[in-house]
Amino acid sequence: MSPQYHFYRFFILLLILLGVTSCVKDVDLSQTEDISLQPKMQTDLLIFDIDQKDFIDPDTNLLRTVIKDTVRLEFLDDSYIQDDLDKVEFSFRYINTFPQAFNTSIYLLSENNQLQRSVDFKVQPGSAGNPVTTEIIDFIDTDEIDQIKRSIKMVVEVAVISNSDPFVGELKFQSKGLFYFVF
Amino acid sequence: MRVIISILILLCCSGLHAQNKQLLYNFSALPQTLMSNPGANINFDGHFGVPLLSQVHVSVGSSGVNMYDIFTDSNKETINARITTAIQKLTNQDYFMVNEQLEIISFGWRVNKDNYFSAGVYQEADLFAYFPKDPLTLINEGNRDYINVPFDFSDVSFTGEVMTVYHIGWNKKMDNKLTLGIRLKLYSGIFNVESTNNSGIFTTRDTPDGSNYYRHYATGLDIRVNTSGYASLQDETTTVQEATKELVKNSFFGGNIGAGIDIGGSYRIDQNFTATGSLQDVGIMYQRKDVENYLYYGTYATSGLEPLFPEIGPGGKALPYWDIFEDEVDANLKDETVQESYVTWRPFKLNGSLQFGFGETVGDCNYLIPLKRRFENIMGIQLFGVMRPRGLKYAFTMFYDRKFTPDLRMKVTYTLDDFSYYNVGFLVSKKLKNFNLYLAADNLFGYLNLAKSQHQSVQMGLQFIFIK
Repeated sequence: MSPQYHFYRFFILLLILLGVTSCVKDVDLSQTEDISLQPKMQTDLLIFDIDQKDFIDPDTNLLRTVIKDTVRLEFLDDSYIQDDLDKVEFSFRYINTFPQAFNTSIYLLSENNQLQRSVDFKVQPGSAGNPVTTEIIDFIDTDEIDQIKRSIKMVVEVAVISNSDPFVGELKFQSKGLFYFVF
Repeated sequence: MRVIISILILLCCSGLHAQNKQLLYNFSALPQTLMSNPGANINFDGHFGVPLLSQVHVSVGSSGVNMYDIFTDSNKETINARITTAIQKLTNQDYFMVNEQLEIISFGWRVNKDNYFSAGVYQEADLFAYFPKDPLTLINEGNRDYINVPFDFSDVSFTGEVMTVYHIGWNKKMDNKLTLGIRLKLYSGIFNVESTNNSGIFTTRDTPDGSNYYRHYATGLDIRVNTSGYASLQDETTTVQEATKELVKNSFFGGNIGAGIDIGGSYRIDQNFTATGSLQDVGIMYQRKDVENYLYYGTYATSGLEPLFPEIGPGGKALPYWDIFEDEVDANLKDETVQESYVTWRPFKLNGSLQFGFGETVGDCNYLIPLKRRFENIMGIQLFGVMRPRGLKYAFTMFYDRKFTPDLRMKVTYTLDDFSYYNVGFLVSKKLKNFNLYLAADNLFGYLNLAKSQHQSVQMGLQFIFIK
């Protein structure tokens, strides 16, 4: 046997050895069970901008002290919400130049108008040229998240707390949701 | 969802390596060298491959991450944290590839001392995807930590094809210095998917003076996914038998067709130096049958739903604000499925080499027996490039090719590419009379722990090689 032949045999054996010993080490593939995507999505929700005219009843032309509107949030019954939503943080912000304060309530209702969650707070009075911001954050943790999953409508209600100042001004409403998903 | 994510991650971790066949290139004893350079110097007079076994080529790799990075058994952090770290580490220039080739038929014959013809049929699958960093970051992390940061959808760029290739090549020795070759190819497409040249930005901007907390912008969205050979498989009424029949039919020109060419040559510079070069798969495919294109395009911006407040709907009922919003989104961000023919170019490859031979072969002391190979040792350098959607990907190889006996050769390579700086490959070719077996493996050190390897490539074949 020539030296080259032994050399060749050595390499063949080395190759076979590599093939036999080739392995996947230091890894744990069972972790695939734990893989999840966990995006946190910031999403604008409702906005409005109203003044004293919006408090006039179009039928009677009289001032209403309570006004409200309802918006269907159809995405709440989509599968990615129903199956994968983990937590939500709602932020609601009013910017008020009315010299009056307001009581505001934000309701989440089911299809059958059953109340699932409500947030009530007082909007502080402002003045012309001096808008006052009132903001509240409502955090819904995992153990309460079914309240959101059962909801489909958001109702915003604003009630004037009357005083002696003239009822003139502007009330802006802003809202967003920070949705925590676990896919 | 978890299953899909797991498959995606496993695919990403096992990705693929360019079909750089540095071990077979310029290996004059093997017919497969003609597939990467039809103008190679060859030293055989006929060949016939064992059907389906004359060349099996599989290569895997990823340019930026390996299995260990994700699935390490250390418990320092969760697997989801490691996935997030990997996504943050990778760039939109990182990529994953899968390439597989299976020779179905391969044969060749020498017409005279200067002309060698070869022909055959092989099946090829090639998938290539740039890492879609921005869309994947958005899906994995959301936009909370990326306010005012654009997510660029041009990061989405991938191609994939499965085809049968019918080919015939001509290797002609022009004179003692120059050998030229050409190979004509007909492609029979089985499946194609292509999504390149996408564009579009999604941004959530902070708007302290705006109407809401943020404003969401989808700007210049223009995403197109072309497919052929896919729509019919989606038909739920198609049985497995029918789908199989369709695939078989498509592999025999029943589907989409194309044509291409390989050219190459070798030039002996002097007694010891030889230069070679080739261009492979300069080819075009016409995707006309079973075509489906998925389009997503448009521009839209929103700060949320704006009810008229207070509600003024008839009977005090809520107005369909959400439906109005959806209609507006649908009018501005289009989602369409159409059937439009398209053309794809095959990813062409280029090869070049400069080699130096030394240690002249001592033949039998009979001047009537020509020596097929003049040197026992050849060393040299090779450059490989393959065209991908955003340009050429290169690999540089140094090699040493040693002939131990007329029936035994080996080649060792060291390759630098996007995947590794430690890629040592080894090829051995052994003849038993006219029967030849070869085995080539890339990135040998990777076999010690495949989990830490970013690519592997293996080629093997069984064939008959005739030398007069």
